[in-house]
Parts: sequence; C-alpha cells; structure tokens
Amino acid sequence: MARYTSARYNSPVSLSSQTARVKVLFFGRLKEIVGHAEDSVDLPDGAPIEALFSHYGVSHPELARFRASLVASRNQEFAAWSTPLHSGDEVAFLPPVSGG
Amino acid sequence: MTNSIQPDLLALVRDPIDRDALIRHVRAAEDGAVVTFDGCVRNHSRGRRTLYLDYEAYESMALGKIREIASQVHERFPVHLLAIAHRLGRLEIGETSVFIAVSSAHRPAAFDACRFAIDTLKGTVPIWKKEYFEDGAVWADGEIPPAPLETRAAKPAS
Repeated sequence: MARYTSARYNSPVSLSSQTARVKVLFFGRLKEIVGHAEDSVDLPDGAPIEALFSHYGVSHPELARFRASLVASRNQEFAAWSTPLHSGDEVAFLPPVSGG
Repeated sequence: MTNSIQPDLLALVRDPIDRDALIRHVRAAEDGAVVTFDGCVRNHSRGRRTLYLDYEAYESMALGKIREIASQVHERFPVHLLAIAHRLGRLEIGETSVFIAVSSAHRPAAFDACRFAIDTLKGTVPIWKKEYFEDGAVWADGEIPPAPLETRAAKPAS
C-alpha cells in the first residue's frame, strides 16, 4: 500500500507534477477517531478515494470497522470509492446521516 | 408553480428557528394551504433519558443537498414556496431542530411535498447528531445515503 504524505504533519514534498494535493474532512465519530476535522494530503494524481481512506487506516486501524457504513464525497457530491482524485479536490468520509 | 420573485428560504442556523417567520415566508394570497413539519428534540431515546443534543454538519454540502431537495420538490409537486431551516450546535429538550413549511393552492401537494422533504433530508443531508445522556454520549444511528455505483473499470469514451 502506498504511503502518502500528510501535509498537516510534514512539509510538502512535490516529487513530480503527478502529485495531487487534496483536502480531507472528517465528521462525527470519524473526527473523534482521527483527532481533527480537516487534513491535507499529497497523493499520486488519479488515486481513488478508496486509497485515501486506506491511508488513514494505517494510522487509525479502528477506521476499518466503519468502512461499510461510510459514504464518500468529492467536492460536496456523493462519490463512488473508485473516483479518481486530483489536485484541489475536497474529500469527506461521511458516517450515516442523522439530521432532522 | 415556481415563484422567481420570492425564492424558497433554505438555511442552516445556529440560533433558535423562527417558525412563524418561515410560515410567513411561504404564505401568499394565492395559497390555500400551508403544511409544516416541526422536528423537535425528544426527551428520550431507546429507553434512556436524553439531556440534550449536539448537531454538526458538513455545512457547504448540507446546504447544497437541501437546495437539491427544494428543486426536487418543485419538480414533483405543484407547490408554491418552500422554507427549510435546520439548526446546528447544542439543542435543549423541546427545541426545534428542523422546520419545514410548504405552501400550495390545494392541500394534497403541500402535505406530500412536506413529507417528501423531511424524509429526503433525513436520508441524504450530511448532518449528524450526538445524543447526551446522564451516563454518556453517542452518535445517533443514522441512514446511509445512496451513493453512486462503483466503477472499477475506466469509463468508456463516449
């Protein structure tokens, strides 16, 4: 599994023009697990949302048990986990919604 | 009928929801009915006494999804105007967490549209509530929004 750079913790290292920087948002119990609401990650351009989630699973293995109940979004729209990511994208992992 | 002069009122708010203002917003001379839904904070959940709730949202996306619901309502039902307000932050027992008002010339459309709006909101808008009890707090069980189908293979060129 590829290890990506969390810009939040490391100075950004842009190895090539093929690197995409994406903004990542966490809500509800995911925010509590990860410990912050927002992150910025450098990953290979075109990497799928699934790979970004796996990236967080390395540092927070407990995320895996929520995977089946999560829906991903890209740029404020629900997105398939296979959606490729590009620089400037905003991704969120959304727990089951409970508004109302 | 969609009124382009006075548009729907769609909002996420942190202060108490002014229900009368939402009703006034949708109610006009051409309307024969206003149907409202008042979602309020209940004092119990699955047999436990609730102390208060705390709501959070992915605000930009939530507002976008609420706007989509309003568009769908106008496509599906012959209603006049719609007002939807959802409150965020800490809410006490009895307070209104979400309020919907729909106006129409005849009552069936307003009833149907109001029901559609609250059901769709609860199933698709990225808002989450945490329930606080005397002995702890939990994120409320929610609904998994419908997501786009996975496409493992690259999309064929069209």
